[in-house]
Amino acid sequence: MPLLLDADIQPIHWAIAGAAMGVFVVSLQFLANRSFGISTGFETLCSLFSRQPYFQRERLKRRWRLPFFLGLILGGVLSAVMAGGIETSWALGRFDALIDQGRGFKAVWMLIGGFLVGFGTRLAGGCTSGHGIFGLANFEKASLVTVLCFMAAGVASTQLIYRVFAG
Amino acid sequence: MLFVFMIVAGTVFGLLLSRSGAADYDYIQAMFLFENEQLYGILCVAVSVAALGFWLLKKSGRTVTGEPLNCRPKPSHPGNIYGGLLFGVGWSMTGMCPGPILVNIGEGKLYAICAFVGAIAGAYSFGALYPRLQRWLGLPAMEEGPGQG
Repeated sequence: MPLLLDADIQPIHWAIAGAAMGVFVVSLQFLANRSFGISTGFETLCSLFSRQPYFQRERLKRRWRLPFFLGLILGGVLSAVMAGGIETSWALGRFDALIDQGRGFKAVWMLIGGFLVGFGTRLAGGCTSGHGIFGLANFEKASLVTVLCFMAAGVASTQLIYRVFAG
Repeated sequence: MLFVFMIVAGTVFGLLLSRSGAADYDYIQAMFLFENEQLYGILCVAVSVAALGFWLLKKSGRTVTGEPLNCRPKPSHPGNIYGGLLFGVGWSMTGMCPGPILVNIGEGKLYAICAFVGAIAGAYSFGALYPRLQRWLGLPAMEEGPGQG
């Protein structure tokens, strides 16, 4: 089974999708007074079970990201249903064509990559949403630095995987 | 009320991520390989539209309910560099940034559950190591934290 977007389902045009996301971020601030940023939600989740002082901070007492996370999952469900129904899948597009090592390898790969996403976004204080969209639009210096770093590292990593090792 | 609002908001944003390519492994790789303009276009337009919107919001300084606007910039610190670099590698490996991890779980991608577990472990390790990382890297005081992004 292919990924969701393929020859049959074309993505929303970038200008429309981008404008919608921009309006979304501003609306979240105007309607709910919440500054957009998804990665902090991983800390909110940790605050549910951890007694570490870091997760008991006053700042993590606001838990709006939990229902937001639930919504993100529902958005994925809805998208798959509208595309013809949900099917569980391990399909990973180009990864499967390049690295055909089975599910165990993919699971470990995703665990390590996911760890870097969780640790890295929290160390940087935000991710593609909080720094990439909200932070840049709010003219934050921290966001500009972070975005330049994650884009550079992403380019280097993918180029290494797909052009050097695979070359 | 806020609970329901946030579920709806998450669903809308999740759908946007799913149908724009931002939660699609191949589109992420195509972006990092400079093969496709889709995600660069989205980021540029989203930032431009949001910047314009925030400029207007800040002129009034109030939300819809009349509350003072709360959008203070996140702190600037060396973690922006180190964390950004680590996250970039993770994003390239998984093809997912934090939002799309959840969206992919909803789409039925089973490997996204592994990425989710990894991300929670990563965030937990960061929090548990914060006092030490703060000294080594010069991060903000714990109460302030690295930024609520």
